Amino acid sequence: MSLSVRKIVISGILGAISILLGVTRLGFIPVPTPAGHATIMHIPVILGGVLEGPVVGLITGAIFGLFSFLQPGAPFFADPLVSVLPRLFIGIVAYLIYVSTKNINNILALVLAGAFGSATNTALVLGMVTLRGYLPFEVSLSIGILHGVPELIVAAILTVILVKGIQRIRTSEDRPPVS
Amino acid sequence: MELTRNITLGVYLPGETAIHRLDPRTKIIAATMLITLLLFIKSYEAYGFFLIFTAGIIVFAGIPLSYALCGLKPMLPVLLLMWIFQFFLYSTPDANILFSWWIFTATDAGLHMGNIITLRVLFLFTVTTILTLTTSIVNLTDGLESLLKPLRKIGLPSQELVMTMIIALRFVLILAEELDKIIKAQMARGVAFDRGSFIQKTRKLFPVFLPLFINAFKRAEELIVAMEARSYSGGKGRTKMKTLHMGRVDLGAGLIMLLFTILMIYIIISAAPQI
Repeated sequence: MSLSVRKIVISGILGAISILLGVTRLGFIPVPTPAGHATIMHIPVILGGVLEGPVVGLITGAIFGLFSFLQPGAPFFADPLVSVLPRLFIGIVAYLIYVSTKNINNILALVLAGAFGSATNTALVLGMVTLRGYLPFEVSLSIGILHGVPELIVAAILTVILVKGIQRIRTSEDRPPVS
Repeated sequence: MELTRNITLGVYLPGETAIHRLDPRTKIIAATMLITLLLFIKSYEAYGFFLIFTAGIIVFAGIPLSYALCGLKPMLPVLLLMWIFQFFLYSTPDANILFSWWIFTATDAGLHMGNIITLRVLFLFTVTTILTLTTSIVNLTDGLESLLKPLRKIGLPSQELVMTMIIALRFVLILAEELDKIIKAQMARGVAFDRGSFIQKTRKLFPVFLPLFINAFKRAEELIVAMEARSYSGGKGRTKMKTLHMGRVDLGAGLIMLLFTILMIYIIISAAPQI
């Protein structure tokens, strides 16, 4: 397996955005629940999967996961099985959903990719939290609903806005300067 | 809103201490060892020794303590909240109940779990911060590349993955400055980020994220061109101008690390029956 320069750079920069959203706390949207914040740090991972394919999604997810392990925002993230492993799947799921629905409608595919990517994060992380015994099942479930739903909505909207914006600058750059 | 002030990840504090002069490979291995140990430590005595050890490194490396810890500041409220969560919600069948109120029951098992996990978070943070504060990005890259080289044999593009990680670390600060500018520009136009309901606050973030991502992708395209123009090709047949050498300092550090690890493993094993 070898990685093209394009894949290396894009995964790196998307990973950087994910870390940035974490360290500035900007990636945490205040939700009125006991656990505090909904996250949007996984959105760069979804974008990586949708725009550049599963490999970039996987690597960006790994960077996101590694960061949330090394600089954990919540105590149970200090366990690589909770913080790193589930994040590897976000980009891959987003990519698969996008590719399989793209031919129906591009915007619908983006909404679904964002929503499923986000749901993957919520379900797998909380699943691991429960399996590893950090929180009882009922608490995980209520966090899943209280956080997962706003995260899912924000992720779906942001994925559409951001991918459309990025696709627009890409097509305008491909065009010859004099038209 | 000064975003860049509290970022200590990926910042390098140049210095001349023995810790700075250590071979990056020694430092990376030591940090990995410390992180692995942290995942198994479950007793307060072990954390006591760990505190002394990390405090020793911080003093020895001449890192200002306030600087080493300022990255922790934004995390504190969340940490406290999660500690309360663990305290009230985690319990084992044989735990002693300390007190109960409404549907919440506080047990000593929950208290222990909350304490241990919070300490683990604090130390994980400190160890990674010390590593990046005392190791320049170039050294970190060289060290990681040389340590992960054997993985190439099983088909993993280790050099390329290290490059990805380094780009991520490097761009955090660049993008933070850009984010700062975007936010200031929006505030100058009268956007109040700290006011409004949850939905209003979230909507205010959209005009920040779009320029951030678009700028990031523009920078990515520039970097791709720059790297391709210099024929970057990952690991194949690349040699280094500066090669890494282990010295006497590394031997000393390695010995100290070994002793500390043995001490920790001894404490972990002797404390194993009580979880």
